[in-house]
Amino acid sequence: MALMTGAQYIESLKKLDTKVYLFGEEVKDWVDHPMIRPSIDCLAMTYELAQDPQYADLMTAKSNLTGNTVNRFSHLHQGTHDLIKKVKMQRLLGQKTASCFQRCVGMDAFNAVFSTTYEIDKKYGTNYHERFTKYLEYIQENDLVVDGAMTDPKGDRGLAPSQQSDLDMFLRIVEKREDGIVVRGAKVHQTGSINSHEHLIMPTIAMTEADKQFAVSFSIQSDVPGIFMIYGRQSCDTRKLEENADIDLGNKKFGGQEALVVFDDVFIPNERVFLCEEYDFAGMMVERFAGYHRQSYGGCKVGVGDVIIGAAALAADYNGAHKASHIKDKLIEMTHLNETLYCCGIACSAEGYPTEAGNYQIDLLLANVCKQNVTRFPYEIVRLAEDIAGGLMVTMPSQKDFNSDLEVGQSGKTIGEWCNKFFAAAPGVSTENRMRVLRFLENICLGSSAVGYRTESMHGAGSPQAQRIMIARQGNINQKKELAKAIAGIKE
Amino acid sequence: MLVGVKFCGGCNPRYDRGKALEAIKRQTREESEFVIAEEGGEYDTLLIIGGCTNCCASYCQYKSKNDTIRMWDESHIDNTVQIIKNGRNDT
Repeated sequence: MALMTGAQYIESLKKLDTKVYLFGEEVKDWVDHPMIRPSIDCLAMTYELAQDPQYADLMTAKSNLTGNTVNRFSHLHQGTHDLIKKVKMQRLLGQKTASCFQRCVGMDAFNAVFSTTYEIDKKYGTNYHERFTKYLEYIQENDLVVDGAMTDPKGDRGLAPSQQSDLDMFLRIVEKREDGIVVRGAKVHQTGSINSHEHLIMPTIAMTEADKQFAVSFSIQSDVPGIFMIYGRQSCDTRKLEENADIDLGNKKFGGQEALVVFDDVFIPNERVFLCEEYDFAGMMVERFAGYHRQSYGGCKVGVGDVIIGAAALAADYNGAHKASHIKDKLIEMTHLNETLYCCGIACSAEGYPTEAGNYQIDLLLANVCKQNVTRFPYEIVRLAEDIAGGLMVTMPSQKDFNSDLEVGQSGKTIGEWCNKFFAAAPGVSTENRMRVLRFLENICLGSSAVGYRTESMHGAGSPQAQRIMIARQGNINQKKELAKAIAGIKE
Repeated sequence: MLVGVKFCGGCNPRYDRGKALEAIKRQTREESEFVIAEEGGEYDTLLIIGGCTNCCASYCQYKSKNDTIRMWDESHIDNTVQIIKNGRNDT
């Protein structure tokens, strides 16, 4: 099958029977719901750009499985060149959407499950790798979106999965049948889950034998009986429900999405099971997925950062402050921080290596350094953006006020005229354009898009401490001690 | 002359690559026909339009009778036009 267009993708979602709940009610027509649709349009950009010759070199790749051209989001990385192009593709999409475009989790899951199943089969004589390869061919040929789902609710963080008072806090196998398994539990914070045709489930932590019922990986269509999704709220999300919502949204076109995905005794046929109680491989799958996903942030957040830097520079222009040396310096600092993240994304890709299965894995130390920086730099970038924008980005009247023809005061001016009078700034700049760029910055700094740019930067792909643990493991301190001994003349 | 065009993916272009191609087309209208390069297609010349010095577009999958023109900066437009007009490749 040819690559889908954005419109074909959206139509394909309408054919699904995915169960979606929002504000305590089922949403039947969720594809056209004003709070959900921007996230769908955002994901549709991963299809649209793949059709455009100006972007196809990054957005598509030749499948090593079929030889056909596929969307890069369903591609197995065949070398460091593919890892680098992945990061560049993510930067591009961040630039075009200023949002989380949601499809990376699937791509990172494909590559992690592909290589891990190969090694499971080698040890246990199972046939997970063959099953998964067939599954991925199906995904590639049908150009589908898959939610790579890892994070369990986790309950009491001090206890292992098998020690939880409620065992459903980690998704688990509750029944093994001849033809498959039945699973129960949930995955939380699931990016783009509602917009996905399929889910690819992975365990959330390394496990011991006592936890083997939780060591499970499988794929499943998003709309099978027993699966439902409860939509995650975002700051200022109900602005999207306002009549003729436009400028006040900051980013009318695009947005991100997270949801709680519940598995209420769902049957998984054998051909879709890729890990079943082989607990000693849960950690490998987690580590590989997390590594890829920590690389991802060195691309996507950089692209969004590009838009933020541009918006901050525009705000300075509109405010008439663009010539001030401290403004120029702040824009330099934002650029320095943003490009440092990109350096990390490219570096961990360039230092990638082949797995036993043949696809390429990123350098784990550099990917964790990348993500650790991502937990910090976007916060400084938005702090500087707020500094440059000025307080008006959070005190400005609404679009309705700017458009109001209600006469107020004693001079016969309308509310709109008063607003346009007092919020004018640099000569030749319309107050509407000033309002638009400030609302964009409000949205990304503390509105609905802050979910993707700030908190997702902090906790997505693992919270900061998770990276520090990996940095400690990969840091090679003993070799560094030997270097110091050699230089200092220490013999022991 | 049939020119097969391949763009890089455009992750951080320093100039508008699409406009650059339009400018080249305008100046070489009489000599050349431009098409987006496709695998299996054969071209007189390949024109690779990168957005930065890395010029990372992959193009080994295309066939070209002559050598390949690679450009990655707006300032390369004039030279590219000259090469196409002369029907040869000096890059």
